[in-house]
Amino acid sequence: MNSETLRAVVDCLIPADDFPGGYEAGVGDYVERLLRTDLAEHAEFFRAGIDAIEAEALARFNKPFAKLSTSEQTATLAAIESGEVKTIWPITPSRFFEMLVNTTAEGYYSEPQQGGNRGAVSWLMTGFEKFSDS
Amino acid sequence: MNKYDAIIIGTGAAGGIVACVLAEAGKHVLLLERGAHLSFTDVGRDHLRNQRLAIYGHNAGPDVVGNPRVFIDPQGHARIVKPYELDYHNNAACVGGGTRVYGAQAWRFHPDDFRMATKYGVPEGSSLADWPIPYETLEPFYERAEWELGAAGNGESIRHQIPRKRNYPLRPVGPSPQTAALQNGARQLGWVTTPVPLLINTEPYGGRSACIKCKYCVGFACPSDAKSGSQNTVIPRALATGNCELKTSAIVESVETDERGNVIGVSYFDNNAGGPRRQTARAKVVIVSAGAIESARLLLNSHSAFHPAGLGNEHDQVGRNLQGHLYPRAYGISPTKVFDGVGPGVTIATTQFNHDNPGIIGGGMLADDFIKPPIDFWYDSLPPDLPRWGLGNKRFMRENYTRVMHVRGPVQDIPNPEGRVTVDAGVRDKWGLPVARLSGTTHRATVEAAEFMRERGEEWMRASGCEKVWSAQPGLILSGRQHQAGTCRMGRDPKSSVTDEWGRLHNHDNLFVVDGSLHVTNGGFNPVLTIMALAFRSAEFIARAMRN
Repeated sequence: MNSETLRAVVDCLIPADDFPGGYEAGVGDYVERLLRTDLAEHAEFFRAGIDAIEAEALARFNKPFAKLSTSEQTATLAAIESGEVKTIWPITPSRFFEMLVNTTAEGYYSEPQQGGNRGAVSWLMTGFEKFSDS
Repeated sequence: MNKYDAIIIGTGAAGGIVACVLAEAGKHVLLLERGAHLSFTDVGRDHLRNQRLAIYGHNAGPDVVGNPRVFIDPQGHARIVKPYELDYHNNAACVGGGTRVYGAQAWRFHPDDFRMATKYGVPEGSSLADWPIPYETLEPFYERAEWELGAAGNGESIRHQIPRKRNYPLRPVGPSPQTAALQNGARQLGWVTTPVPLLINTEPYGGRSACIKCKYCVGFACPSDAKSGSQNTVIPRALATGNCELKTSAIVESVETDERGNVIGVSYFDNNAGGPRRQTARAKVVIVSAGAIESARLLLNSHSAFHPAGLGNEHDQVGRNLQGHLYPRAYGISPTKVFDGVGPGVTIATTQFNHDNPGIIGGGMLADDFIKPPIDFWYDSLPPDLPRWGLGNKRFMRENYTRVMHVRGPVQDIPNPEGRVTVDAGVRDKWGLPVARLSGTTHRATVEAAEFMRERGEEWMRASGCEKVWSAQPGLILSGRQHQAGTCRMGRDPKSSVTDEWGRLHNHDNLFVVDGSLHVTNGGFNPVLTIMALAFRSAEFIARAMRN
């Protein structure tokens, strides 16, 4: 699994605006930790999915996923979500995508100690907390 | 070998009360709990591993390893499930049981909940029945639970539906920003509303402090100990008598009988001090209060030459009629912020639709909800037409986490004998005991009622000024989970029930089940106060019987 790909995927799922995107908030680290712990049984499945996203990007645009424009990235992920892939996947694309979207959101919106919500950014964004040290 | 007056299995909503009443009556009690004492820190604040949202684990037992169950899906496929999976139908396993981490809604059932078969008839495929006792018989015990544990509420506005002799000991929880809008909406629709009764100290009570209004009621432990459960009310009282011995990490293997088939005690595994050691204890009376799934499992696992199908199971009734609640829910975007970060968050309910709905059997209560952590909200509360990722999803979380208004409520489960607990001899827990096997679904009449309540929820959202409204209901599934009930139901006929009105097994004078298993039907309300009221009533009966 290419960490550049993971980073670009996470930031496409939770993009930066005036609040940090998923990767800056730590979601990449959160996912990597989960693959070593709670999701260890599914780590191979997950890594195969990230590799397949990369293959899909190359097949569609002849570029790595991380080098695609935002709209190209979004179109690629939307196609994977609905199972309309152009390459041969070793796993079910929609099943992988659901796991990917869920783990990304879990990292970003759960408590900062999990690693994907550094500085409680999502809690400040949603209004769940008013101060980052609370 | 120790000889006790009574052995109680389980320290949850019912077991704690039975231990307290018997110990205070001077009886020598052994109280067995499979879980541990969990401190506030032990329970923790993990947003992904708690009893409300359990994605990778949970925080109040049982241990993830060594405690499997088998779940049979509606297509008939069997699969082994872990304690944090939805299909496990877990309730907490620790001192206090579910009450350690519950939301503590303290509803009485409606008088019609006790005579469902008489009121509605019995739909095909259902085992709907009346309770052997009416509401009026249980009323003094509801009052006792409210006063001895400490309930906060105001039952005046619904006194015509659910009569009460005495008010709550504590004033109800105050309004949240959404409360006035929901109240106005209900008024426009002509619906009666009431504050949600809670077993939470809105002021100091019972030697414990008041709620500090944090955001973590359901699924977590209370930081100020203001939430009242067995572990901080009746169990300390039982222990203070000196008559009650509490053993944690004690896994009961079976209820034991003598050579004539009479109940004489239990055998259990003591997991303290370096690993499981098999122990036996003898008592005049055994009370099973392990929750609707584990109580049924224990009776089924307690078989002998006299009771080849398990204790109390001569007529194949133990484990049947498993009930819980389907929860229809409705959401809407309020024009103003409805989140102020002040807990508990649940404030207002309507009991307008618990009964007398055209073409519907039963119905349910609807209420606003406890504060939901953002990840809970992300999983539970987003509109179905919202993309699940990308900037649109993030913007929705940003703009609407504080503006989404929400009502949900438990729908009266219409029991059916195929929704059931059996035991699976092919799958064992880490003590070698056959595990619970869960199968079947609720009755389709429950889904019809849930659909009706989902529509009422949407109606309430619109009348309360919401711009965009959406909703969901779960469909034809097995219900159970934290509201599990019905598996050893009370009744007069041994062919269609497991116990008498006191929880005493039809064929055993000294063996009782006292917990949600007894519920003939499970009301359209959170069931815990009914479990507590029945426990007070049964415990008084047992104490009285032991005096004679």
